[in-house]
Amino acid sequence: MKKRLILALALVLSLLPLAAPQAQEKPLRIGIAQFADHPSLDNCREGFIQGLAEAGFEDGKSIALDYRNAQADMGLTALIASSFVDNGYDLICAIATPMAMTAVNTADGKIPVIYSAVSAPVEAGLAGSDGLSAANATGTSDQLPVKAQLALIRAFQPEARTLGLLYTVGEVNSQVQAKQYEQLAPEFGFEVVSSTVTAGGDVALALPGLLARADCLSMLTDNTVVQYLDVVLDQAEAAGVPVYGSEIEQVKNGCLAAVGIDYLALGRQTGRMAARVLKGEAAGSIPFEVMQDSALYYNSGAMQRLGLALPAAIEGSIQDTAENPQ
Amino acid sequence: MTLALQSFQNALPSTLEQGFIYALMALGVLMTYHILDFPDLTVDGSFPLGGAVGSSLIVSGAPPAAALLAALAAGAAAGLVTGLIHVKLKIRALFSGIIVMTALYSVNLRIAGGSALISIPRDKVTLFRNNALVSALPEGAATLVIAVVMALAVKALMDLFFKTRLGCLLRAAGDNGRVVTALGRDVGNVKILGLMMANALVALSGAVLCQQQRLFEISMGTGATVLSLASVIIGVNLFQRLERMRATTKAIVGALLYKACYSLAIALGLLPGDMKLVTAALFLAILAVGYRKRKGAPADA
Repeated sequence: MKKRLILALALVLSLLPLAAPQAQEKPLRIGIAQFADHPSLDNCREGFIQGLAEAGFEDGKSIALDYRNAQADMGLTALIASSFVDNGYDLICAIATPMAMTAVNTADGKIPVIYSAVSAPVEAGLAGSDGLSAANATGTSDQLPVKAQLALIRAFQPEARTLGLLYTVGEVNSQVQAKQYEQLAPEFGFEVVSSTVTAGGDVALALPGLLARADCLSMLTDNTVVQYLDVVLDQAEAAGVPVYGSEIEQVKNGCLAAVGIDYLALGRQTGRMAARVLKGEAAGSIPFEVMQDSALYYNSGAMQRLGLALPAAIEGSIQDTAENPQ
Repeated sequence: MTLALQSFQNALPSTLEQGFIYALMALGVLMTYHILDFPDLTVDGSFPLGGAVGSSLIVSGAPPAAALLAALAAGAAAGLVTGLIHVKLKIRALFSGIIVMTALYSVNLRIAGGSALISIPRDKVTLFRNNALVSALPEGAATLVIAVVMALAVKALMDLFFKTRLGCLLRAAGDNGRVVTALGRDVGNVKILGLMMANALVALSGAVLCQQQRLFEISMGTGATVLSLASVIIGVNLFQRLERMRATTKAIVGALLYKACYSLAIALGLLPGDMKLVTAALFLAILAVGYRKRKGAPADA
């Protein structure tokens, strides 16, 4: 009977070497809480660390970073936030909307929270209409450059009438972006047709109906649909409907083109803001910042498959990402 | 290792707060799974249902007590629907729960005004903020005190209920439906009642959690059934030999241990992808220890 206990203990102990090494000195402690595993969010975190380093805060020297990922589990999200707060960290970096909201609510003003990759900070209650937070928080927004994207689509497809959106009904960022598309699309002569899913498995089912109605698809920064991008691309290509991405990674993976947000740059911008707070500025007095730099990307492989040509008007300002066309 | 323990220790108050709030849900699931022997998947929908009802009422300025009562009522209604589908339409227990859980996703989204998130502003009166009770309690301990009192109050009420005639019928319905029929009662109605009470508690748990986190999120119910079942199974199995210990107490302790496992896994600072594996190992360790204590007993978790 003792054997069982030992076996159980051994099982737990055998997993301990996986533990990340902890810093020995007493530097400023920064907790990075990321909502989900996702290339854009990973880039955001990498950028944050770079931004801090550029401002003189290097991990293991003047700061000690502690990174946790909630794997899109709301229960974990809450536990990670409270673990950072209870351990008296000096600053929390929260990546993606649910993590940001939980961290701000848990810290309750006691610890500064710097968020990133939050598409709609005002709608999420993280900031007032003046861009400032009452709760010792600030950060960066990955609001999509919707106007620029619509102009890009118009350039590729002068004849297109309907623009299709596919997004998850449970993601607030997608809801906000869809609204922006609906507001701005008429300016560019598009009619928005959309279809919603509740989970990744619905994507393949929702596409046929949407592709029958849409002349083109534009991706949002929807965590669920982006994960099923290959399904979207396969079906859209078979139907001859171009798909435009919401970031550079999606264009690399086979979308025709995108006005891309550089999440690494977004993270760096966030890291620099965190450095200002570490140097003594109050987070509540810094308005949240929207990513300013965006660039045009296209995938020449996808363009050939669709039988489209590069529009002359943007030829000089767009980059080809198709070193590895699928 | 010492650093990890230190970190775990620091996070203990939050772990306990969450544990006691989730214990309300575990108490509900104890009623269906353990007592009625009814695997109820409604929980994945009724947990966020309570959150959606409670949060939207709080945001519109309703007092916390009203929000909690509304959540209780909404949860009971969800349980009623599951019960009616199961008893009147003779649809399997698992599928009745799946049907209601699926429908509740849309219902919850409607209640939340079509938004996937409800953020409760800092200045709103909730169970844990801006009320006379909280200001009377020592700062920092208020949340835990309120969560503990709620869990213990619900436990005490349940213990009392199980001693009543109706409570005995409920227990009998799970053990042997024929006994209930022999007593001239309808097993179906007793089951429906149990489902209503259970889901009312689950929804209450969701409403309390949303008020504590000041956040409702549409996917908060994903995995709620598994979480509460795990809590109940951990509690009931670990203390199987303690016959005097009430099942309600076991469920509460189970919920605390469940949250503690997660908290410990976080404190260990593992690679994010390995966390679930470690949590599973911790569960296994707990159950293995429980098994060792009751050697010879059949493993019927």
